[in-house]
Amino acid sequence: MMEVEEIRRLFGIAIEREIESNEFYAKAAKASTDASVKAIFTDLAKDELGHMELLERFREDPTLPMKMIKPAVDYKVAEEVALPRLSTDMKPADAIALAMKKEQQAMEAYRAMAAQCTDDSLKVIFNNLADMELGHKNRLETLFVDIGYPEAF
Amino acid sequence: MTNSMQEAMKSDVILITGSNTTWCHPVFGGMIKKAVKEKGVKLIVIDPRETDLAKIADIHIRQKGGSDVAWLMGIQKIIIDNNWHKKEYIDTRCEGWDDYLKSLQAYTQEMVSAVSGISKEDLTAIAKLYATGGRAAIYYAMGITQHSHGVDNVKAISNLALITGNLGVEGGGVNPLRGQSNVQGACDMGALPNVFSAYQPVTDAAVREKYAKSWGIDVATMDAEVGMPVTLMVDNAGEKIKALYIMGENPMMNDPDLHHAKHQLEKLDFMIVQDIFLTETAEMADVVLPAASFAEKLGTYSNTERRVQLGYQVLEPLPGVRQDSEIIADLATRLGASNFPSTPQALFEEMRMVTPSYRGMTYERLAKSGLRWPCPTEDHPGTPVLHTAKFTRGLALLVPLEYRPSMELPCADYPLLLATGRLLEHYHGGNMSRQSFTLDTLKPECELEMHPEDAEKLGIKSGDWVNIETRRGKVKVRAKVTATVDKGALFMPFHFHEAPANMLTNNALDPIAKIPEYKVCAARVELAS
Repeated sequence: MMEVEEIRRLFGIAIEREIESNEFYAKAAKASTDASVKAIFTDLAKDELGHMELLERFREDPTLPMKMIKPAVDYKVAEEVALPRLSTDMKPADAIALAMKKEQQAMEAYRAMAAQCTDDSLKVIFNNLADMELGHKNRLETLFVDIGYPEAF
Repeated sequence: MTNSMQEAMKSDVILITGSNTTWCHPVFGGMIKKAVKEKGVKLIVIDPRETDLAKIADIHIRQKGGSDVAWLMGIQKIIIDNNWHKKEYIDTRCEGWDDYLKSLQAYTQEMVSAVSGISKEDLTAIAKLYATGGRAAIYYAMGITQHSHGVDNVKAISNLALITGNLGVEGGGVNPLRGQSNVQGACDMGALPNVFSAYQPVTDAAVREKYAKSWGIDVATMDAEVGMPVTLMVDNAGEKIKALYIMGENPMMNDPDLHHAKHQLEKLDFMIVQDIFLTETAEMADVVLPAASFAEKLGTYSNTERRVQLGYQVLEPLPGVRQDSEIIADLATRLGASNFPSTPQALFEEMRMVTPSYRGMTYERLAKSGLRWPCPTEDHPGTPVLHTAKFTRGLALLVPLEYRPSMELPCADYPLLLATGRLLEHYHGGNMSRQSFTLDTLKPECELEMHPEDAEKLGIKSGDWVNIETRRGKVKVRAKVTATVDKGALFMPFHFHEAPANMLTNNALDPIAKIPEYKVCAARVELAS
């Protein structure tokens, strides 16, 4: 069984990722010239704070049953889309695409860590974190499908 | 369509305008009838004609031809004045409110009633039922789009759905009923002057590179400029356009102002027509390529709700007849494409690899019940409702609109207003349905519908031969005196080459969509000698 301190350290790493993401989206919101894109990045920054708060609750009390709800499906939309370059004049769909790619990357990073673990309880934590990122990815993929395939001509 | 046809049963209110749904989209017309009769869905029909659905509607109002922006914006003003709009939805999902609200002030009930002929009481009744009746869907067809201000009409519809929170919800939406069985698919596949499949712009070098690689051609040979819409191709025939390759289209029946269209097509150096019958246009062609009918080919159709469906070949084509995809692939190969897919299956596989919204579709998946795009991955179930959380531009834009009259209005010389359209028994220019013995027996002849009061003034009875004349031409046709049309209005189907309605229609275009004004042209009628 893993030490409580070690669990707290792992959650600390996950929290750092959320803080970095929050800062990234806040900066992107500030730099965006398009009002809609600015709003999307502002919402994403807020989302990351929400994720951070959730992880902090688990870090404070690692005895809480840490079982993320695993989404029933993964449509793998992010996997089909190229990572857009961050720019001040990007379109709303590119802003969402960038965010869902980041969630995909986070999910894959946790899955890779889980795969490398020999400690079963550590593996469970990393897989739970990957499931959390999958949930975020799913939500963003739904948004992307809403706006990423315009019938515009 | 932003939503799906099956959702008619989940709506509380349905507003139909510019669509004779049971005649022109009979399957969906039946679904609407079922929703009204079995589910008690409230139905509003705004149409100058008393259609089948108008007869079962809770509200049927006849508007004057060409007045759609006025009545649509007018009811929006009533909705807002009565506080029936959805403020939270507007605040969180829309922008442009101030300019929109300012433009709305012009649409006083007096102005709207004068332009549209709809009384203040009727405008309020429409506004109240649509805005307060629950989930409300709008369905429209070419009665809305075929105007010199067709784009404004559609924007006015979008505004109405937005201020009442009816976009992005099941049972709601803005739902154009497309005019042809696969026009959605044709547009999705880039049969437009400015885009490749999935509306990817031809002006984007990376997009051109993708297609060049896929087809095995040199990207430098691809045209980087936007082409012309079909209406402008005809206008430019013999000048910028030297040759035309026309597939499954019969401009010599379907284009506005046929005298002009014929004159223009005659200027071409070379014309190819690929069709299943020898149409009026094919008779003018230098080369005719006989193509297989629906039953003789394998392929997909994308219907009005974005559902892609697989059609199977059940008959062998006649000798000398080939599938469209074979003809195009053969031509592409002879023009230098080294990797152009030559079978329907290979074509579909190539298409989905370059078309993100169709990428998740396979023949195996489509065989079940079709899939609605966007369907971006093979795990994705397709998308029945668009924009549930976001719009393409992020926030939806409420558009300020100014009412512009149609290009022709009634005058002393031409006191009546003609609209053209379709009958239940026939389809489009008639070159398919009039080959059917059954359908042509049911409706063998063109009839001009006119109101009894107008007919009486002119001494016309049903069955009389009359001449209808506009600034473009004159056509002899049988009269049908009926209150289906409003006073001052005329309706004529465009299926009959013996009485070609498009000899009469106006080729005035919408400045953005370049769609002709088929629905409003000034006309006069007299007994034929």
